[in-house]
Amino acid sequence: MSNFSARTGKRRIRAGSFSLNRFSPGTETVFHLVLALFSLICIIPFVFVIIISFSSEESIRQIGYSFTPLSWGTEAYAYTFQLGDALWRSYFNSFLITIIGTALSVTITVLYAYPLFRKDYRFRGFFNFLSFFTMIFGGGLVPTFVICKSVLGLNDNYAALIVPMLFSPFNVIIMRTFLRTTVPMELIESATIDGSGEYRTLFRIVLPIMKPGIATIALLVALGYWNEWFLSLLYLNKNMNIMPLQYLLMRMQRNADFLAKNSSMLGADATKAAATLPSQTLKMALVVFIVIPIACAYPFFQRYVIAGLTVGSVKG
Amino acid sequence: MTTFAPTASSGKRRLPSARRKKTFWLTTMLLPGAVWLLLIRYLPMFGIVIAFKNYRAFKPNTFWNNIIRSEWVGLKNFEFLKSPDTGIMIRNTLGYNLLWIVLGLVIAVAFAIMMNELRSRLLAKTYQTMMFFPYFLSWVVAGYFVLSFLDPTSGMIPFSQKAAGLPVTNFYHDTTWWPLILTICNLWKNLGYSSVLYLAAITGIDTTQYEAAAVDGATKWQQIRHVTLPNLRPMIVILLIMNVGKIFNADFGLFYNVPQNSGSLYPVTQVVDTYVYRAYANTHDLGMSSAAGFRQSAVGLICIVAANGVVRKIDPESSLF
Amino acid sequence: MKKFLSLILALAMILSVCGLAQADELPVITIMFHGSNVTDDTAVLEKVNEYIADKVGAKLEVIWGTWGDFDEKAVDALVSSDAGVDMVFTCSWSADEYNSFARKGYFVKLDELIEQYGAELKAAIPESLMQAATIEGADGKGIYAVNGFKDTATQNTWDINVTLLNELGYTVDDVKNLGFFGWNEIFAKAKEVKGDSFYPFLVEPMVAERMVTNSIIVAGDSGSVNLLSLYLNPDDVSAEGTYGSTLLNKFATPEYKAFVDQMHKYYEAGYIDPALSVAETSNDARTNHQKEASYLIGTQSYAYGYEYSADVLARGVEVTFLPCTEAYVDATASQGAMVAINSASEHPVESFKFLALLNSDPTLMTLLNYGVEGIHYNLNDEGLVVFTEARASYSPWTNGMGNVTILPDTETEGKGFREAFRAYYAGAKSIPVPSFVFDNSAVSSQMASLANVAAQYALALDCGAVDPETELPKFIDALNAAGMEAYLAEANAQLAAYLGK
Repeated sequence: MSNFSARTGKRRIRAGSFSLNRFSPGTETVFHLVLALFSLICIIPFVFVIIISFSSEESIRQIGYSFTPLSWGTEAYAYTFQLGDALWRSYFNSFLITIIGTALSVTITVLYAYPLFRKDYRFRGFFNFLSFFTMIFGGGLVPTFVICKSVLGLNDNYAALIVPMLFSPFNVIIMRTFLRTTVPMELIESATIDGSGEYRTLFRIVLPIMKPGIATIALLVALGYWNEWFLSLLYLNKNMNIMPLQYLLMRMQRNADFLAKNSSMLGADATKAAATLPSQTLKMALVVFIVIPIACAYPFFQRYVIAGLTVGSVKG
Repeated sequence: MTTFAPTASSGKRRLPSARRKKTFWLTTMLLPGAVWLLLIRYLPMFGIVIAFKNYRAFKPNTFWNNIIRSEWVGLKNFEFLKSPDTGIMIRNTLGYNLLWIVLGLVIAVAFAIMMNELRSRLLAKTYQTMMFFPYFLSWVVAGYFVLSFLDPTSGMIPFSQKAAGLPVTNFYHDTTWWPLILTICNLWKNLGYSSVLYLAAITGIDTTQYEAAAVDGATKWQQIRHVTLPNLRPMIVILLIMNVGKIFNADFGLFYNVPQNSGSLYPVTQVVDTYVYRAYANTHDLGMSSAAGFRQSAVGLICIVAANGVVRKIDPESSLF
Repeated sequence: MKKFLSLILALAMILSVCGLAQADELPVITIMFHGSNVTDDTAVLEKVNEYIADKVGAKLEVIWGTWGDFDEKAVDALVSSDAGVDMVFTCSWSADEYNSFARKGYFVKLDELIEQYGAELKAAIPESLMQAATIEGADGKGIYAVNGFKDTATQNTWDINVTLLNELGYTVDDVKNLGFFGWNEIFAKAKEVKGDSFYPFLVEPMVAERMVTNSIIVAGDSGSVNLLSLYLNPDDVSAEGTYGSTLLNKFATPEYKAFVDQMHKYYEAGYIDPALSVAETSNDARTNHQKEASYLIGTQSYAYGYEYSADVLARGVEVTFLPCTEAYVDATASQGAMVAINSASEHPVESFKFLALLNSDPTLMTLLNYGVEGIHYNLNDEGLVVFTEARASYSPWTNGMGNVTILPDTETEGKGFREAFRAYYAGAKSIPVPSFVFDNSAVSSQMASLANVAAQYALALDCGAVDPETELPKFIDALNAAGMEAYLAEANAQLAAYLGK
């Protein structure tokens, strides 16, 4: 019942006056200035990364990282494409892991958060605690590694790169909070009275209202998977074919770090190894490769967040 | 229990079974998550005991056997956390976190509201997308970016200082500017992320509330105060509680990579996480790292329970548990 | 989730059934290497397994650890008692895994295996290396890893850009005679000729400190920044130095004070790149200056034949390495690259047989290190190794594998290189305490604090970036507050016990 009234309410408001209850153009200009300035600050480092990736190696050796390199070059990208198979395969892996991981993770999160949001659910307190407690306490890296590897068989397979991140108590709490702020209890009560089953209520009535929340969680989860590399470090030993792109990059970074840390111990070996490390420009080119797809995917999630939002603001 | 009135009796019988059914179906929803929690989070928790043991290998060398047979050493593994630096470490960790929790909250909510109010949908989208970019760049890359400004030889700031004939600041050996630099970096990285959470929460606000306020003649500012903010409260409170729980954890990369791990800056960059990292890198001692993790968890638990307790007193609806 | 679990269960069952079916096949032994750059090992492993099937009675699999994953991967495999990793690279310099892990029972004691299957191994490796690997481990005194025969002595050198030096009107002898404290005029001249943005003195600050003060790395000391000094006699490394065989607080000696004072002068005069004084920019800056040959005098821990290595040749200038002392055998160098057998391994015997063969059989070592002849390298008319392009996809870390003296000479090294290499290190003198390793477990809490204090001050001081007059006293006070005295006392007690034996 309240479902319908809310909808009709929306429609009525949308048809109403636009100019009513708006900020003055002056105030809005200030908003634009503030947001535009900050957005610029956010985007400049990425422009910087692109510039470095197109700088010549020589320029970096001489004047370091700079917005105005001495000379330009495309060696980094040429080298990137030389990585050939390794690059495209890891690209594919990143996509695969992110898509499957996000779909599974969001499903599990919604299914876990929904009963916790239901005040009339009997074991709400118990399951809430079950999830919350793990946010604070954990067994630590090595015991988790032992369980995942030897008990669950997460070793050198895609599952090893997906399963350990499948669920996050943080996301459950966020999702529950979204539910609390967006879904009125009466809606569920009326659905129950109408004889709707629990799953039906969730998927047919609650989910459509929850799109912004779900899109947000999906975005956070997808970013988590896309940026993940530590699982690869732990669980990939021999099957490097399933390595994601982020790990390809992190390996280069970590090699450099290790050599830096141990250079005085390793002596000539460290110097030799450092000389063969991939160049800075290559690392930046890989950063570009990593950022572009997820940046392109961003509007897809944003559609739900902002689209709903603009409707909301118009009616205000 | 047996009843006089048949109607009442049938009603009573119907209700518990419906409730049981409801409980059953809702529980099945929780199961996938619960199984995951048990396997991946609870099963390894036996490992907490390592923090109190002198962990080593025995024969036969299996993880279980080693844990059982390793000698119990009480709090010995925690000793390394006591050091003359402890004061600085805690001051930095707590100080930065408190400042950033407040700043992050206020600015993120403000940004979310501003974006919500923009007439131009396209610009709102563009800002939102751009603000998310920092989230893609690692602290290592951010560190290079900062370096391009501060590098003593070719950085833009020392370079212009030289050009203007001013004394050149050696940023990586001078602590003055770092609290500010770190704060900017933190906001730069996290604002996009948290403002999207608030934005999504604003989107979910029931539109009839604005309508009612408008009918009452509320100005836009009043609507924000009386409709938007109260509706955001649960999200604000939840994020606050969780941030308070992490008040003894620091973002390692921010404090390690952005200052290029410069020793001279430790007075303003040493936090619990970097201290433990530098200690562990020399020993690879499982007991020590477990102890460090355990202590942070314990402190986190206390903080979160305390914060939640306060919230419960003021606003039971918004509390975490 | 449930489905997924049952899927895993089903998979596990299938796997175990397969395992049963293949019971009569050879066992698989797995080795984890360090610092490798290998993307395609199919051809090599095929040949290797053909070759070792009868000799070892096992099938080899390799986990190609890179530099960056070593700390997590090898350490996690060991502390999680992972039976899937039979052999790991280990050493005394990266958090001292060899000694501390042997003490904690993670490595198999090899003495009996050597007795039974190690005749060839003993013949191939100098007795001194066996001695260096003999330590007090979980199962008593013995050998807990097969010690690789590589550059097993330490030698620090001044790395001199001779082309530029001659251009400035000086010779290598001038550099030698003026000495570290007298290079002012050379640097001034270089700065004058090459311009203000040129930094003539390219130091690795920690190495420079050891070179100037003639101190050595004490194995088992805090690894990221050393705290202890043992002074050598620069004229005869096998004799005792000025302080005898005593360990000192590295930062509280007059030698250290003199060094940092001089460095500060050089830094203030603009002879040292400021980027070298910051931990994370130091290495990049040094590598870049070396590649560009934009330096006059640098520091380099030297290994025999380093002049002929690709990275030195690529600098495009004439480079000479001027030694500070003769090469000396200390624990850091003689425990520099070893392979140990995981005590969780199910195949210790096969693993040992493999290691013994790898270290004594040139065919196997060449195969695993240089790849397959005709694919990764060819032999030229003189019988020297010439690498092909395929080598790019198969470049393990040579020194991490074991006895590199049985490798054939390469074209860049020239004929007779390995022979000379072997002679150079076989003849190296030992310091008075060649195999002393500090067991820091009793003072590990102090070490944690001290490592943090040292990381705060040492690099900037060593590089001359801060004023020793104000910073050095603060540093020493902070060290004392963090427990330096207890740390030093424990180290000296152990050294005394070592010398008493």
